Amino acid sequence: MPWIPTRHDVRAALGLGIAFATTTGCSERLAAPIPAAHEEADAPRRGGTLRLASLADVRTLDPAGSLDALAAEAIHLIFAGLVDYDGRADVVPDLADHWDVDDEGRTYRFTLRRGVLMHDGQELTAEDVKRSVERSLHPSTPNPNASYFVGISGYDAYAAGKTEHLAGVEIDGPYVVSFHLNGADATFLPLLAMPTLRPTCRNATDRYVDTWLPCGAGPFKLEPAGWQRGTRLRLVRHDRYFRPGLPYLDAVEWTYDMQSLAQRFRFEDGELDMIHDMTQADLTRFLADDRWKPYGAAESDTSIFGESMNTRMPPFDNVDIRRAVAAAINRDHYSVLKAANMTPLSQVIPSAVPGYDPTFEGQRYDYAVALEHMRAAGFAFDPSTGKGGWPRPVEYLLYDQGVVLYTAQILQQELAKIGIRLELKVVSWPAFLAMRTDPNRAGMALGSWSMDYPDPSTFFEPLFGSASLAGESTYSSAFYSNPHLDELLARAHRQNDPALRRRLYREANAIVCADAPWAFTFGYHWFDIRQPYVRGFVAHPVWGRDVSHVWIDRAAPGVQP
Amino acid sequence: MVDPRARARLASDHAALVGAGVVGALVVFVLVGPLLTRHGPLESDFVRGVSPTGMPVGPSAEFPLGTDRMFRDVLARLACAGRLSLFIAVAATSIATAVGTAVGIVSGWYEGARVRMPWPAILGAAVSIVALALGHPAAGAIALVAAVVAVFGKRFAGPRVDLDAMLMRAVDVMLAFPFILLVMAIGAAIDRTSTGTILVTLGITGWLGIARVLRAKTIQVRSLEYVEASRALGQSTGGVMLNHVLPNIAGPLIVTATVQVAQMIVADSVLSYLGLGISPPTPTWGRMLFEGQDYYITAPWMVAAPAAAILLAVWGFNMLGEGLRDALDPNEA
Repeated sequence: MPWIPTRHDVRAALGLGIAFATTTGCSERLAAPIPAAHEEADAPRRGGTLRLASLADVRTLDPAGSLDALAAEAIHLIFAGLVDYDGRADVVPDLADHWDVDDEGRTYRFTLRRGVLMHDGQELTAEDVKRSVERSLHPSTPNPNASYFVGISGYDAYAAGKTEHLAGVEIDGPYVVSFHLNGADATFLPLLAMPTLRPTCRNATDRYVDTWLPCGAGPFKLEPAGWQRGTRLRLVRHDRYFRPGLPYLDAVEWTYDMQSLAQRFRFEDGELDMIHDMTQADLTRFLADDRWKPYGAAESDTSIFGESMNTRMPPFDNVDIRRAVAAAINRDHYSVLKAANMTPLSQVIPSAVPGYDPTFEGQRYDYAVALEHMRAAGFAFDPSTGKGGWPRPVEYLLYDQGVVLYTAQILQQELAKIGIRLELKVVSWPAFLAMRTDPNRAGMALGSWSMDYPDPSTFFEPLFGSASLAGESTYSSAFYSNPHLDELLARAHRQNDPALRRRLYREANAIVCADAPWAFTFGYHWFDIRQPYVRGFVAHPVWGRDVSHVWIDRAAPGVQP
Repeated sequence: MVDPRARARLASDHAALVGAGVVGALVVFVLVGPLLTRHGPLESDFVRGVSPTGMPVGPSAEFPLGTDRMFRDVLARLACAGRLSLFIAVAATSIATAVGTAVGIVSGWYEGARVRMPWPAILGAAVSIVALALGHPAAGAIALVAAVVAVFGKRFAGPRVDLDAMLMRAVDVMLAFPFILLVMAIGAAIDRTSTGTILVTLGITGWLGIARVLRAKTIQVRSLEYVEASRALGQSTGGVMLNHVLPNIAGPLIVTATVQVAQMIVADSVLSYLGLGISPPTPTWGRMLFEGQDYYITAPWMVAAPAAAILLAVWGFNMLGEGLRDALDPNEA
């Protein structure tokens, strides 16, 4: 049993409480920003260590085994890819000097830059590219993204262990490598720019081993003993990086598993240079403080959240009920909870992803329409008497972490107004992942998805495509299936004409919004606050906190700029 | 009958009177608190409850204790949570006191003796409890009937055992079991944490201290002359326990139970704070504290209100308990 205070303890606690109240008070001000050495940002200068922190930890830094955005933040600094995303999320050459597309979009031939040195000093060749691709897609590699590359010729046989090599990847010369696809695939280049297939040093061999220390051709390399799992990561500059003059920083350092409040305190003390894991209260204070306003930067909306309705289970097997839910939710009520991070969302595609159409209306809040849909479904609800509606409570599955615990309570209030009574089932994150994929478990669940690569297909196919329902584990907690949508998604996947592709995804968007397997609620983005001496930072649409072009311009202690 | 001297001692103990006053005020607050505001404890007010910066609004005529991070009335939630906390604390204390008293008296009574145990009856009762917990009422009822038959049949008694040692070792084992882990296990087993779960959890973990205290008291009381006389006159063991032992240990029992209520309030708050309590949106003081901790500078009322409520409730019950101890059992003071 917990400790119980005695009379003396209670007196002491009262004293402490009074002391606490008088020392902190309501007027505590944020510390002043630490000024840069120079008032105006002039030419970038080399040197310095950028210190970052995170609430979470990275499981792996191997591009072949990585899934989470936090790991990608470091992985894209360690490993360069044949192609990368520029500041507008367009695919541009990186290790590849250029590429050619032949065979009606079924062959991509990459010509590598000459003289690119990996962190181990070896020159990058086409052999390294092929070996790295095969290592990443080998059946023994725990690659969560492998299925994205099913379109490469020979993938099925290779993934099944029937062939020694991946037939669709061919070396056409020391610096030329070709990828042969089964058919035209507009997602291939965006997928290739993900970390998954990025070239690794030769000591990675051709098989995945969890103990391998990351080594690639990126601007930063792992410092010897620089990764203490669960605690910290330190990358140092790759002096022979192929882009002259870059990077500017000597090192980048992450401290993992640090609570939001601790991050804020250390940031104010000048022990961290940038933060983005802030509580709503702290973020509001930074945004309201004129001294800090110039040093905040919103990242892009690359995650979507919604209320996922199990289309195989009553009452959500009735499309009118789903439409009622979609119309009953006032998205502004959600976003006010964390206005700096949440954007009201009414469609599948978030604003930062190519294909987003701001003129597309999608789902929208209309209480009268919501009541009308309930009536059409045969469960009319009278708000004045509270009578009617769906007669039984509906279980809503969510995890006990972050803002979703509060959005769930708002949802509960909103749906009560149309006669749907939710019972919140709060479970741990692992339990949530396991339970939401059971079609007989929950009528409704929190839906969320983060962009894997900047393309609409990264949202449509895993969440609403019938193909994702195959197998034991699915990401589709709505268990929604629509052959017409499947056909549209397949056409869009193959379509290389951007305008035609946009039209197809707009049509797909309209179908999903009308059928409402999800009621879309908000897009989420991080908000970064940095010290003034952190220069050259621009939030990247894919990598978020991309520090590859950052430099430090901090005055020595005691020196005024 | 309460000893007039005890009543006089209690009346002259200012700390105890203040404790009683705080407890009384708390009870009044949780009963009438919701009437002081026109906002429901579960209703967000996205118009008047939100400041222009998107933060919860502070105390005002509309929201006497401000709003929380979901823009709900803190006063309404505080009173609603108080009802729940007090109910849980009192009910769990009742469960713990009943179990602890039974175990303490039986253990103390049979201290140093070997008792013939009705093992089939115990087994039947255990099966009945498990069956009921797993949702098989028919099987539970059959097992319970079998247990009762076994008790009254007196045919299935096993070998003699040291009952006192058995019970006290069970207490030792349960005291060694991590409280939070037990709550998590129970929560996982029944798939949902509810008021009933919290009650049962606190009840079955809260009786251990009571059993220890009452065992020691029973050992003292059982050797008193009038108890011996009652046994000599042929009164049954159960009758002696109920008619003579229980009234004589009532003082420490009341004191322990009063302090136990404070313990239960803290335990309930701890569970809620850690996310192991009753699921949202039902308000609890611990959960309110958790939800407000990030706002301790920008919206301090969110933390101050539940913290003050917990502090005052625990303080009040502790002061009252200490005063009762001084009054009912001056030798222990």
